[in-house]
Amino acid sequence: MKRRSLLLSGAAASGAVLVGWAVLPPRSRLGSPALWPTQTGAIALNGWIKVAADGAVILAMHRSEMGQGVHTALALLVAEELEVPLQRIRFEQAGYDAIYGSAAAFVGALPFHASEREPGRESTTLRAARWMTVKLARELGINVTGGSASVADSWEPLRLAAATARALLVGVASLRWKLPVAELNARDGVVSHASGQRAHYGELAEQAALSRPGDVILKPAQNFRRIGRPAARVDLAAKCDGSAHFGIDVRLPGMVYAAILHNPMLGGSPGTVDVDAALRRPGVERVVRLPPLAGASAALAVVGRTTWHAFEGAKALDVQWSVPPGGALESKRIEAALERAARDGAERDDGVAFWTRGDARSALAGSARRVEALYRAPYMAHATMEPMNCTARVLDGAVEVWAPTQVPGLARAAAAQVAGVAPEAVTLHLTYLGGGFGRRLEVDVVAQAVRIALETGGRPVQLVWSREEDFGHDFYRPAGVALLRAGLDDAGRVTALAITSAGDSITPRWLERVLPTFSGPFDLPDKSAVEGLYDLPYDIANQRIAHVATHSGVPIGNWRSVGHSHNAFFGEGFIDELAHAAGQDPFRFRLALLEGMPRHAAVLTLAADKAGWGAAAPAGRARGIALHESFGTIVAQVVEASLDGKTPRVHRVVCAVDCGVAVHPSGVAQQMESAVIFGLSAALFGRIDIEDGVVRQRNFPDHPLLTLAQTPAIETHIVASDQPPTGMGEPGVPPLAPALANALFILSGRRLRELPLAL
Amino acid sequence: MNLTINGNPTSIDDAGIDPGMPLLWVLRDLLGMTGTKFGCGVAACGACTVHVDGAAIRSCVTPVSAVQGRSIRTIEALGSAGQPHPLQQAWIEHQVPQCGYCQSGMLMAAAALLATVRSPTDADIDAAITNLCRCGSYPRVRVAIKAAARQMADRPRRLARP
Repeated sequence: MKRRSLLLSGAAASGAVLVGWAVLPPRSRLGSPALWPTQTGAIALNGWIKVAADGAVILAMHRSEMGQGVHTALALLVAEELEVPLQRIRFEQAGYDAIYGSAAAFVGALPFHASEREPGRESTTLRAARWMTVKLARELGINVTGGSASVADSWEPLRLAAATARALLVGVASLRWKLPVAELNARDGVVSHASGQRAHYGELAEQAALSRPGDVILKPAQNFRRIGRPAARVDLAAKCDGSAHFGIDVRLPGMVYAAILHNPMLGGSPGTVDVDAALRRPGVERVVRLPPLAGASAALAVVGRTTWHAFEGAKALDVQWSVPPGGALESKRIEAALERAARDGAERDDGVAFWTRGDARSALAGSARRVEALYRAPYMAHATMEPMNCTARVLDGAVEVWAPTQVPGLARAAAAQVAGVAPEAVTLHLTYLGGGFGRRLEVDVVAQAVRIALETGGRPVQLVWSREEDFGHDFYRPAGVALLRAGLDDAGRVTALAITSAGDSITPRWLERVLPTFSGPFDLPDKSAVEGLYDLPYDIANQRIAHVATHSGVPIGNWRSVGHSHNAFFGEGFIDELAHAAGQDPFRFRLALLEGMPRHAAVLTLAADKAGWGAAAPAGRARGIALHESFGTIVAQVVEASLDGKTPRVHRVVCAVDCGVAVHPSGVAQQMESAVIFGLSAALFGRIDIEDGVVRQRNFPDHPLLTLAQTPAIETHIVASDQPPTGMGEPGVPPLAPALANALFILSGRRLRELPLAL
Repeated sequence: MNLTINGNPTSIDDAGIDPGMPLLWVLRDLLGMTGTKFGCGVAACGACTVHVDGAAIRSCVTPVSAVQGRSIRTIEALGSAGQPHPLQQAWIEHQVPQCGYCQSGMLMAAAALLATVRSPTDADIDAAITNLCRCGSYPRVRVAIKAAARQMADRPRRLARP
């Protein structure tokens, strides 16, 4: 199947005439002041920026803060162009207009190859497809905090909105003082003139809102005073004194609490239920039967006076669970089926080829030496520290929802559907998220909370999932298998690479749950399942990278770095095998294959240099290296590890990154630390096993996370760049597992091809 | 039922309160003190860490009956806006939190450590801070604890309430 031609032909037909539209956003993307949900207390200058009477700036915050520092990074963009201190910017939750919708995440879903995406070398087809996608995404206006796309999405509109606001404010001062604009200075929220005239923004805003801006020119990078400089995060004071408001912290008058109990068997439902014992417990007031909602199985909710009363009530439910119609899932059986699918697919050149170049089959057959390996990755859970929760109130046809969500618009739509009202009748309050990692791209818990709230007589209800329900009913990172084969010539050069991977399609399953109207009768090929494997940056003349889509029935979803999370392990583990097979240094071997990819080569070299690659590692330790691009950001990591018996110990991780302009460099470093630790938890411990339909891991004691004592030293080195920024939330995760596996190979002589890594 | 929370005598209506109800839920759901977090319910993650008589305990498995008459301290009283705990200052100085959900527990565990070990070694920190953080704040937690310890050594006792 030629998915790419199919997908891109429409885009290409539109032609290159239209290219460039996305480069400079038109004024319409600034939105009108009328977009603000509340019009009081401040003057709106466009759909993004309001100015309060005291000169404080209010930014329409269209992305969810889940730890990644997005509030700070987006505020920095505004602070830069509006010339206002970061501390003077407050946030109001953005509305639902299309200007707040995501585009970069959808562009990121286009199936282009690394070699086609390099800045300055983009093909006409790519530019056209990108343009079409951006245009379509802007029409849809779906607001998603995901795909490491927030800064990339906001880079132009937020700076333009801020620069336009500044032009309006300065223009008003110019008229008022009868002084030329060129002689006025805007700094720290004040417009001033050498003559001594001064006015803060609050004194100019009312008149500014009535005028039209002249030419607005964005600052050239060399004039940046805040972007790329150190800045303290804006959200930390509240996160150090207990006052930060997460979804689970919502407290409302008359509020009751709910616990949930799903059938322990995935996909099952409650059969006969005896509620008497539960209702006899003090503080328990009712049991609500929930239908399947937004991907969640049918379930029982127990409403009580406190979360604890509800939890205890749920424990007291006497339920005869029915076996799911599809039978009991078994992860071992599924993983064996994936292996068969990959092997059969490779045998028959089956599956969707996401990338072909030359003739891999012939080149492989004619190669002097062949290397073949099968790699595997298990299901994994998100395990956000803040358990799944949502608070809802349905009173007199009005629906109010308080949710820690990555998708406020989709959550609102889900709430509306359950309550049987129009989306406009739903008010959704977005709170801080106690971690997201893709789990909060789902709306299951929102739908459940609203459904329960239909039965609490207008009183608000807070649904909190126990940790056991969270582990047992996640939308897991799918298991995956890849069969990788390569041919080397006599000189040890790679002449052929053939990969066939197998695994469930991620995006179609997610769409079914959160955007059912976009879900068709059959799955389109899913780029997210194969991303990071079909688009390796290495120059290999003959390639066929294909994927066999499976449908296991296990609920799967987006897990921080999505397909990259396991595909980087497959690809970068295998490349390392090829380096050793060729008798070459793994760093130099990669570098030699990166001749046409200077940014990748620079990132790889920086990590190697900073890690002391080439010099002997400290006694008992070895280094492994990996390089991976995801979400437009290139990351290389060098892991320094040792073995304590069979237990790996990671001492140091040196990271290099090219993420375009690093808007908030300390945030970049913090996200890299976050990704390394998240990646280490996954590489060392991460697995979900399904036995007789039931997830075996129930809570943290069965599912360890990395601890402080196990945490290595982490260094981050940023490559200077003048390219537009790309994401940082996810790209540090993928290279960690292969870099560690590659170090463990040096230490043990054993090539680990299965996650989690165990000797 | 009478409790002493953050120095304040607090009485809770006994009606419907099982003495086995964990302190965590008394704080969060009956008293509205939501700074202390629920993470696992089995004392594994430490998000619910508070002090009882100065020692860090996991409130999700501590029955409220067990803390009657004892001094309970929560994140809400670790410091104040005017007089933050040195750990809170160090936390901001070193930009520790990310999502922030586990940080109340981290701070309370760290405060209990510094109350007994004035200049903790890496091994002391490894042993005392067993709280789980999914975002990966660990390296900065370590650095900030050491920074706070140094600051407390420079300004002995005045701020370092147990």
